Amino acid sequence: MTDSTLANSTPAEQTPPPRAVPVADWVTIDDLFRDPFPIYRRMREEAPVHWVPAVNRYMVTSYDACHTIENDQDVFSANEDGSLMKRAMGHSMLRKDDPEHMVDRQSYGTVLRPKAIKETWLRIFQQNSETYLARLKAAGPGADLVWDYAAPYAAENLRIIMGFHNASQEDMQRWSQTMINGTGNYADDPAVWAASEQSFREVDDAIDEMLPRLRANPDASLLSGLAAMPIPLEAIRANMKMTIGGGLNEPRDVLGVAVWALLDHPGQRDQVLADTSLFPRAFEEAVRWVAPIGMYPRQTTRDTVLEGVFLPKGARLGVVIGAANRDPAKFADPEAFDINREKVPHLAFGGGNHFCAGTWVARSSVADVALPQLFAQLPNLRLDPDNPAVDAGWVFRGMTALPVLWD
Amino acid sequence: MSTITFHHGDGAVDTLDVAPGTSVMRAAVSNGVRGIVGECGGQAMCATCHVYVRPGYLAVLPEIGDDEDEMLDCTADPRDPRRSRLGCQVTLGEGLDTLEVDVPGSQV
Ligand code: HEM
Ligand code: FES
Repeated sequence: MTDSTLANSTPAEQTPPPRAVPVADWVTIDDLFRDPFPIYRRMREEAPVHWVPAVNRYMVTSYDACHTIENDQDVFSANEDGSLMKRAMGHSMLRKDDPEHMVDRQSYGTVLRPKAIKETWLRIFQQNSETYLARLKAAGPGADLVWDYAAPYAAENLRIIMGFHNASQEDMQRWSQTMINGTGNYADDPAVWAASEQSFREVDDAIDEMLPRLRANPDASLLSGLAAMPIPLEAIRANMKMTIGGGLNEPRDVLGVAVWALLDHPGQRDQVLADTSLFPRAFEEAVRWVAPIGMYPRQTTRDTVLEGVFLPKGARLGVVIGAANRDPAKFADPEAFDINREKVPHLAFGGGNHFCAGTWVARSSVADVALPQLFAQLPNLRLDPDNPAVDAGWVFRGMTALPVLWD
Repeated sequence: MSTITFHHGDGAVDTLDVAPGTSVMRAAVSNGVRGIVGECGGQAMCATCHVYVRPGYLAVLPEIGDDEDEMLDCTADPRDPRRSRLGCQVTLGEGLDTLEVDVPGSQV
């Protein structure tokens, strides 16, 4: 390197010996579920990584440590041993490392990319938003913005993009939730497995039915693209299940959180309504502030030192991007929802080779279509003082109730 | 070795010697050059590795591919019709032994 300003990697610099990983035995799942952010704050202040007995993982909470993991798949593998996601959904691209991962990822082609969104999906997002906005209006003031609008809207968008022309948006919601529950079934509850396995079979059957139909009558959908590719059926099935699980709840949740945050911060709401080009900023701040996927797994392939902390080979990690996105080392006043904050890249869409394949679908469907339509068509949209909104979750976090009023 | 120079808006300059085959994005990220993010790790999917190539080098660059082209419409700072490229899609070596780029003010 012939550089003057980049002096931070000179060989003379001494790195201190790695410290042992601290144990956070005070963390409980119930507390995390209710409100993880005070817990993350305390953890981040203590160390970038903790062993958390209640979670049975090392939880990584600093921005720099999460960022390092995302960009080093040789040391931090996505192909986790004993992964419940593999059991619930099959071995998808999300649990593979390169080069195997890249084969699957490339099989998605251009379907989720900006050009396809502009040419094909945007119009469908607009139609679907009209449909479910009409349903919300029919339910009348007091309706729940998540369950009467955001959830069916996100599900119907995903159904059409994926090419499940033989299923309903309700099927998509059921498949998504039951298989996600399987992915999180650490308690090994047989009822949870039964529901998850039933969805597993239903999705396989739906794919088996659609592939020949789409081979005969191709369209712009994911399944149609996959039908024309020499990709093993097993991979198609696993990737479709992972995408059902990863492409529905997240846009639903960021939509709910963005509306809630704007309604709860009237100054920022007025600012966005006066300048609707700010909706993408509100979206980006909502996804930073409450990352819909709060934690995802990785596993070390060898002994390593992460931000000064020693981790043994085979360590099962939780990459807590929900905490990284509120790291004060990176974001000023990180606990505040502030659409005017200095723009800093957040980690809500992950990073590196598993960077979310649906990023632009989420941005377009939520920031360009749903948020502007909701605020334009529901005059004086506001929270319901008698029925409080509820935010919950930590591995996945969003609004579980968002009753709203309008004039 | 190939040489790449990053010019920042405030006049600061980073010059790196990198092995042929290294992308502009990878060179910047692994050496901590500020202003280049590379969120998607080089898949032409995030548009956070945007650079403006200095005019003297435009003639020797490879063509802009379809994925790069659509992503260049998604950059935080405006696309320059001639000079904008994704750093992850431009690789040093093979006829491109030196390169100078301007780093945009914002990537997100
Ligand atoms: C705001 C909405 C969304 C958020 C916050 C989000 C977040 C994420 C994150 C954090 C990952 C990486 C997880 C990991 O590395 O383990 C990911 C991967 C992925 N997401 Fe999303 N996602 C969203 C919407 C979507 C949508 C709408 C789709 C589909 C249409 C989608 C499809 C995918 C796929 C296929 C992957 C796997 C990529 C790979 O393994 O290479 N996501 N997403
Ligand atoms: S690194 Fe993401 S587009 Fe270049």
